[in-house]
Amino acid sequence: MSGENGFEPRIVAYVCNWCTYLGADLAGTARLEYPPNVRIIRLPCTGRIDTNLVVKAFEVGADAVLVSGCHPGDCHYTAGNYHARRRWMLFRDLLDVVGFDMRRIHFTWISAAEGKKFQQTITEITEQTRALGPYRPYACGAGASACQPAPSGGAGAFACQHSQAQLRETAARLLSEGAVKVVIGYGARGPIFVTRPEDAAGLLWNETCFANLTTYLKRKEVRALGKPAIVVKGCDERALVVLEKESQVERAEIYTIGMACQGLGQPKCAACDTHQPGFADETIAADDGPAPPPAADRYAALDALLEKPPEERLAFWTAEFDRCLKCYACRQVCPMCYCERCLADKNRPQAIDSSPTRKGNFAWHLSRAIHLAGRCVGCDECTRACPAGIDLRLLNLALARAAETKFGYRAGMDPASEPLMGAYSLTDKEEFIG
Amino acid sequence: MNVLTREELRKLVGEWIAAGKICTGPVRVKPELVLFERLAKADDLLLDGWVRPANSIKELVLPRHEALYGYRIEKNRIELVDQPETAPEQIAIGAHPCDAAALPILDKVFNWDYRDDAYNRRREATTVITLACAERDEECFCTSVGLGPEAERGSDAILFDRGDGSFLVKSLTEKGRALLGEGAANGGAANPPPARFDAAQVASFARDHFDDAFWKEHALACLACGACAYTCPVCHCFDIVDEGNAREGVRARNWDACQFPLFTLHASGHNPRSGQGGRQRQRIYHKFYLYPEKFGEILCTGCGNCARNCPVGLGVLPLVAKIPHAEPV
Repeated sequence: MSGENGFEPRIVAYVCNWCTYLGADLAGTARLEYPPNVRIIRLPCTGRIDTNLVVKAFEVGADAVLVSGCHPGDCHYTAGNYHARRRWMLFRDLLDVVGFDMRRIHFTWISAAEGKKFQQTITEITEQTRALGPYRPYACGAGASACQPAPSGGAGAFACQHSQAQLRETAARLLSEGAVKVVIGYGARGPIFVTRPEDAAGLLWNETCFANLTTYLKRKEVRALGKPAIVVKGCDERALVVLEKESQVERAEIYTIGMACQGLGQPKCAACDTHQPGFADETIAADDGPAPPPAADRYAALDALLEKPPEERLAFWTAEFDRCLKCYACRQVCPMCYCERCLADKNRPQAIDSSPTRKGNFAWHLSRAIHLAGRCVGCDECTRACPAGIDLRLLNLALARAAETKFGYRAGMDPASEPLMGAYSLTDKEEFIG
Repeated sequence: MNVLTREELRKLVGEWIAAGKICTGPVRVKPELVLFERLAKADDLLLDGWVRPANSIKELVLPRHEALYGYRIEKNRIELVDQPETAPEQIAIGAHPCDAAALPILDKVFNWDYRDDAYNRRREATTVITLACAERDEECFCTSVGLGPEAERGSDAILFDRGDGSFLVKSLTEKGRALLGEGAANGGAANPPPARFDAAQVASFARDHFDDAFWKEHALACLACGACAYTCPVCHCFDIVDEGNAREGVRARNWDACQFPLFTLHASGHNPRSGQGGRQRQRIYHKFYLYPEKFGEILCTGCGNCARNCPVGLGVLPLVAKIPHAEPV
């Protein structure tokens, strides 16, 4: 039975070797008929399935994708499916915010004994996809208006002479005592690296100090300077917490100078609830400025986007990503993007199209966002750095909210918590898994 | 036609769009972002309220992604798909002299040992209607590289804003005359940026201080993204990629940038330009020494986009301003 115009859906099924693949085998040996529309790709474990593989399947012409593995408790590798479950919980929210058609992605647990369930699942997905029609990659909805993010409030300029003087004193002291070799702080045009006590006068503390300097801890040229002291605001400090959790920095090898901050007028500042650094080696108090305003709803901009129907969300992101130049400023400013070789730079084979085409840009931004799930501290540096003005923070916010509402987790708030994506719970909600 | 009102200019643009010409001009994309974008309608054209767009018109002649040719495989037949012989007519409206001047500079490298058809097709189909600068900011330095707010180089016609809702028109080439008629006006009172550095000193410093600690020291803040190169009117490095599957695909060229470590990474794993200091040096070296040596042109139009777009406050001007003895003479 064919759909309209003889359309036959192509369905890609990523299945685990130990359960669903054997379930499919059983369906075959038991002579259970199911539509031939499915292309089965066998992988060791659902825990191995990179979200990029799902994006790839749609890129090369899949009309629907199924991911299926062992029932909870049955994983051949003990916990691969629990990790997968948590990953898909987050990835689904990301796809939803970009307006992806969620009816084309399916998750099931099918054991080696469930040939019948495999047959039914494939039959159902095929029929449903046939009714949906072919998948049209990143089609731009007609007549959709560009989404304007919710207006952001923020504190304006602030008096800071006293804190700035204290910061300079601290920096000069640390350098002359030999406690550190370099102070990473803010200068007139941006980040500066002060190595001599007499140069500490170049350090500034004002409303232009919005960069998150922790990103320099990954740079080998900066590491080569020796033990650093780093100037952090309460929001930046959260990045250090994550980096330490991921074994990227040793706090004992860094001296942190915390700056209490009343907000710098950036969009993120309106919703800030971490004005006061909590873990710094030394905190310079803000006793010369107004008290920070109460934190606004940090998801307001996301809600404004989610009020729109999926087609308009997709149209919004299509227009945003169409401006992407693939300059990778978003990646390079991010303190969490510390991989020595990014997935996007792997070209044997090419994991993500390097071309700044619609296809290549969607694949890149989805991949970047999901890799930051449970890790992004919301510093918005990616958004600030983007020369094309792409509102990347909305993707980060979608994942931050998924982490907060589903797992009660906020990245970089608790040094003792397990990393969100590195952990799992037996009680993770799986209402979306068939 | 010596004077055009804003309404008349918009009406002309509307006519060009209606005639199927690709019109590109400054568009306010977000409250704080102006980009050169394809104009869907003449009203999108933004004629003031900006110093310069955050990107450049080089995309008209060197798109960020361009298929050079394609292939299709059907059963036993392989078909090669060439690009069309001619490019569609395109008009840049409201480019600044620092954008227009980029095109004759780029012509040299794309017609040097090899005539690049893909580039030249687009170049021949492009007309540049420049808007002389009424505003500037502290990142502008066109006068330090031999240009100015009313420089005519690379323009087919230039408009001078009279400040009363009209423009004086000066047509410079046949292409310009074809669109705007015989304008022969001369400019108004320009407000050129002061000279910021001496380009000859920058060139000799780059030549004589290849291994100087200067580069490493001043590149510490560089995060190795391509924001400077991709928004530069004259940075033109590209990468060739094959993208496709067993049925069809393309060989394409994409922009590439010398600040990426991957730019010089060898297949063996060796990277001859291993540090960010060397990469920043390369950018200055290429613009102020190598390109002038080979083509007699500074590979920079002083637009300042690199500095405006750098997330960490670097760029050509901030870097060369630190070069010893490079003060303007």
